[in-house]
Amino acid sequence: MGKPNDLVQGTLDLLILKTIALEPKHGWAIAKRIQQISGEVLQVQQGSLYPALHRLEQKAWIKAKWKETETGRQAKFYSLTAAGRAQLEKEAANWSRLSAAINLVVETT
Amino acid sequence: MLWIQRFWLRLQTLFSRTRSTQRLNDEIQFHLDQQIAENLAAGMSPAEARQAAMRTFGNPTFLKEQTRDTWGWTWLEQMSQDMRYGLRTMLNAPAFTFVAILTLTLGIAANTTIFSWIHSVLLNPLPGAGEPERVFALESLTPGGDWVPTSYLDYRDTRDYTKLFDSFSVSSPMTVAVGNDGAVEQLRAELVSGSFFDLLRVRPEAGRFFIAAENEDTQNAHPVVVISHGFWASDYQRDPSAIGSTIRINRHLYTIIGVAPDGFYGSMPGFAFQMWPLATMHSELNATGDWMLQDRKARMFRVLARPKPGVTYEQALAEVQAFGHRMAEADADTNQGMGLNLLPMWKSHYGIQEAMLGPFTILMGAAGLLLLIVCANVANLLLARATSRQKEFSVRLALGAARSRLVRQVLTESFLLTLAAALLGLVLAYQFTSGLQYLFPAGTRSWFSRPPMDLGVLLFTLALTLGVAILAGVVPAMHAAGESVNETLKEGGRTGTSSRHSQRLRSVLVVSEIALAVVALIGAGLFVKSFRMARAIRPGFEAKGVAIAQFHMFSAGYDRQQADSFCQRLREQLEREPGVTAVSYADYVPLGLGGDSWEDLQIEGYVPGPGENMKIYRNLVAPGYFEVMKIPLLQGRDFTLQDDRDHDPVIIVNQEFVRRFLRNQYPIGVKVQGWGHWFRIIGVAQDTKIMRLTEGARPFFYIPIRQIYRPDMTYTFFVRTSGSLSDAMTALRRDARAVDAASAPLNVTSLEEFILQSLFTIKIAADLLTILAGTAIFLAGVGLYSVMAYSVARRTNEIGIRISLGARISDVLVLVVRQGLVLGFAGLAAGSVVALVLARLLRSSLVSVSPADPAVYVAAAGFALVIVLAATAIPARRAMRVDPMVALRYE
Repeated sequence: MGKPNDLVQGTLDLLILKTIALEPKHGWAIAKRIQQISGEVLQVQQGSLYPALHRLEQKAWIKAKWKETETGRQAKFYSLTAAGRAQLEKEAANWSRLSAAINLVVETT
Repeated sequence: MLWIQRFWLRLQTLFSRTRSTQRLNDEIQFHLDQQIAENLAAGMSPAEARQAAMRTFGNPTFLKEQTRDTWGWTWLEQMSQDMRYGLRTMLNAPAFTFVAILTLTLGIAANTTIFSWIHSVLLNPLPGAGEPERVFALESLTPGGDWVPTSYLDYRDTRDYTKLFDSFSVSSPMTVAVGNDGAVEQLRAELVSGSFFDLLRVRPEAGRFFIAAENEDTQNAHPVVVISHGFWASDYQRDPSAIGSTIRINRHLYTIIGVAPDGFYGSMPGFAFQMWPLATMHSELNATGDWMLQDRKARMFRVLARPKPGVTYEQALAEVQAFGHRMAEADADTNQGMGLNLLPMWKSHYGIQEAMLGPFTILMGAAGLLLLIVCANVANLLLARATSRQKEFSVRLALGAARSRLVRQVLTESFLLTLAAALLGLVLAYQFTSGLQYLFPAGTRSWFSRPPMDLGVLLFTLALTLGVAILAGVVPAMHAAGESVNETLKEGGRTGTSSRHSQRLRSVLVVSEIALAVVALIGAGLFVKSFRMARAIRPGFEAKGVAIAQFHMFSAGYDRQQADSFCQRLREQLEREPGVTAVSYADYVPLGLGGDSWEDLQIEGYVPGPGENMKIYRNLVAPGYFEVMKIPLLQGRDFTLQDDRDHDPVIIVNQEFVRRFLRNQYPIGVKVQGWGHWFRIIGVAQDTKIMRLTEGARPFFYIPIRQIYRPDMTYTFFVRTSGSLSDAMTALRRDARAVDAASAPLNVTSLEEFILQSLFTIKIAADLLTILAGTAIFLAGVGLYSVMAYSVARRTNEIGIRISLGARISDVLVLVVRQGLVLGFAGLAAGSVVALVLARLLRSSLVSVSPADPAVYVAAAGFALVIVLAATAIPARRAMRVDPMVALRYE
C-alpha cells in the first residue's frame, strides 16, 4: 500500500495543494491531514513531504510564512498563491478525468 | 509574471543559503517534535516516541539533501566545491602546478600575440572607423594585370561619374618635417581628401574635421591639418588651444583644425600617422608644380571607397570595372588597356597586410602546433598525477561519488590551471604585441601602430582557454572515471591494471608530443636553410663594407638647386673622411622594401607586343654609383658630373635590357624615350637583383640623378669604407649635420643590414620557428622524461629481482633505453610523415629548398634523438643503481 514514493509525483502535489486550499498549514499538519482524510489509506512517509513542499514553493504555487502555532512555537505555514489555486483546479480536473477513465476501464471488464 | 517570481525565489535561496538551510533544519525539527509530542500523548515512553517519530519521518539527512536539491543551485555548489578542492590540490603540488601553468602560459601567450597581430592587420584593418566592412580599396590595374596606385584625375572622374558610391577619398603617405629649423621633427602624414573622415565615419576628439568646401579639387587653397590624438598628447599636452594654432610643415604654415580620436591611426592597416593634411596641398608640401594632380600618368594615390547603403560588393565592383573600361577608351593616351579593381581592405595592396599574410599564416600554424604540444604535455602531467591519486579517486568512488563528478573534478582542475595561465598569458601577450614592429626594418618602426588588445582578442583568448582546458583535461578525466574501485584498493595503487592503462595513454601522449615537436623542428629547419640559401645568392653588387643614409630632401624643404648643392657638399665632405674609398648617392636602394619606381619606355627599334608591360624599373644615380656598389660596367662609360640637365640625356642599361629589347645588338648609342626625353645609351652594367634576392633577371636602367627631377625622391648616400662600418655611419651623421643642421638622415645603417629586409619574411619565419621548435622539443623531452622516470620507479622491484637473479648492469640499461627509444622512434616516424605532408604547403615560401629536403629531416631527427636519449639517460642511470636488497624490501 502507498508509500508516497510509489505515488505518482503529481499526485502528491495535488494532495498538498488541496490540503492547504482552505487555510494555511505547517508541514506536520499537512501530513496528518492527508492521513486522516484518506482514512489512513495513504501512509505518507512524512519526511518526503518536504522536498515536495520546497519544490512547489520554488514554482511559486505555494508561499510560506513563519508564524506562531497555538502552542507558541514558530512553524512554517504554507498557503496557496493565485497561481497555485489555478494549478489546483487544473490538476483536480485532470485527476477526475483520469480516475473516471480508470474506473470505467476497471468496471466494464 | 510567474517566471520573474520564480527567478526571484531562486536568487533568494542562492544568496541566503546558510539561512535557508538553518530554517529547513528548524522546520524539520518542528515536525519531529510535533510527532514526538503526539506519540508521548499516545502513552509511549520518550525513547519509543522518538524512534517511532523518526521511523514515520524517514532519513532526515537524505530528505534535507533532496529538499536542498529543489532549490536548484546544486551544480553551483558542487562547482565551488570542485574549485576549492582543485585549488587545494594545486597548492599541494607546487612543482606540478608551476610547470603546467608555465607551459600553458607560453602556449596561450604565443597564440594570443599572433592572433592580435592578425586581428589588427587582417581582420580589423581600420581601427576606429565606423562600419569598416563597407570600406573598400580602389586600385588601378596595368594592362598586364598588376596593381598600381591611381592618379588624381582617375580618382576625380571615378568619384564624379559613378552612381553606386557614397564617397571616395584619396590617401597618400608622406614623411614630413614639422617645426622650425632648429628642431625639426620627422613625422608621418597621410594626405587625404576632404571626405576622408566622413567616409570612415570618424568623429573628432576636439575641433572639427574637413568641411565640404575643403573637399574641392582646387589646389593649395586650404592649409589646414587634422592631428592625431597621440601627437596632440605628446606635443600639445592635450591643450584645447592647439585647435586654431599654426604649425610649420615642410616650411609652410598650416592651421590645426581638429584632433582625431584615440585609437584612430589612419587608413593604412598597421601604420600610425600623426597628421592628415589635404591631398590638394600636395604640390606645396612636396615643392612640386601643380601638374602632379593634373597628370593621368602621375599614379600615386591609393583610393578608399564606400558604396551607398544596400549596394552589394558585387554591384559596386561591376560599376567600377565598367567605369575603368570607359576611362581606358576615353583617355587612351594614358590609360589604354588599364582597368579598375575594388578590393576588401584586408586584400588591398596598401599597408602591410599583403606582405604579412604569408608569415602570419605560418606563425599561426606554428603557434597552434606549440599549443597542441603544451596540451599534450599538461595532459601527460595531469595523467601522472591522476595515477598517483588513484587511491583518492577509488575512495571517493567507494564512498558513493558519481563517476561524472570525478570527471568534473579533473576538468575543473585543468580549467583552473588554464585560467591562471590565460591571465598570465594575457599579461605576457600585452608585452609581446608591440613586438610586431620589430618584424620590420629599423627606421620604419615608429610608423607602426600597436595592435590593440580589444574585445575580439579577449574573446579569442577565452575560447582558446576553454578549448585548451578541455583538450588537456579530457584524457585524464576519462581515465579517472574508468577507475576500478576494487582493483585499486586491493593492489594499493601501484601495479593495478588501470595504472598500466594510464602508462599506455601517457606513452601515446609522449609519442604525439615528440611527433609534433619533430614537425616544428623540420619546419624551422626548412626556413633556416632557406634563409641560408637566400643569403648565399649573389645580388650582383657588393654590399659588404658599405654604409648608407637616407634623406628626404624635400620634407626638409629643399628645392632642386638646394638638394643638388647639399648632395655635392656632403659628398665632398665624406670623401675626405679617413678609410672612405668611394661615395655616391642614388634615389633607390636595391633589395629594399617598396622600391617600385618605374618609367614607361619607348625603345628605338623595338616594337612592344600587344599589351606588353613597358614599365621598366630604374634607379637615378650620381656618378661613382657603380664604383661604390662594385657593379661591373661591361661596355661604355659611367656617368660624370657633366651629365646634368644642361647636357644630352644619357642612360645606362643592364644586360637583360640589352638581351630583351635590343636583341643583343651593339647597344651604345641606341636611343630610349622616357619622361618625354630621348636618352642615349652610354653604357651597359652587369645584371643585379632589384626587388628580391630570389627573382630572375629583369631589365633595369640607370639615369643620372641630375637629369631627372622627382620632388618626392629619397636620396640615399652610399659610402664604401676600408675601415669600420660604424665609423662610416658616424661620419655620415656628423657630416650631414655639418653641411646642414636641419637635415636629419632618416635611416643610417649598413647596406648588408638593409638588404636583409628583402629576406625578412624568411628571416622572421626562421627565427620564430626556431624558438617555437626549441620550446616544443624541450617540452617533449620533459614529457618523455616523466614517463620514463615513472616507469623505472614502477619497475624498481622487477629490476631488483633481475639483478639478484644475475642480470648485468648493461642488461638493465638496455631494458630502460630500449623503452625510451621505442617511444622516441615512434614519434620521429610519425612526425616525419606529418611534416612531409604539411611542408608542401610551405613550398611557395621556401627558397631553393625542397619541402622534402633530406638534410633538414636528418638534422631534425638527429636533434630530436639527442633529446630523446638525454630524457632517457637520467631514469636509466637511476635504474642501473638499483640496489637489489633495497628494491626487494620496497614492496
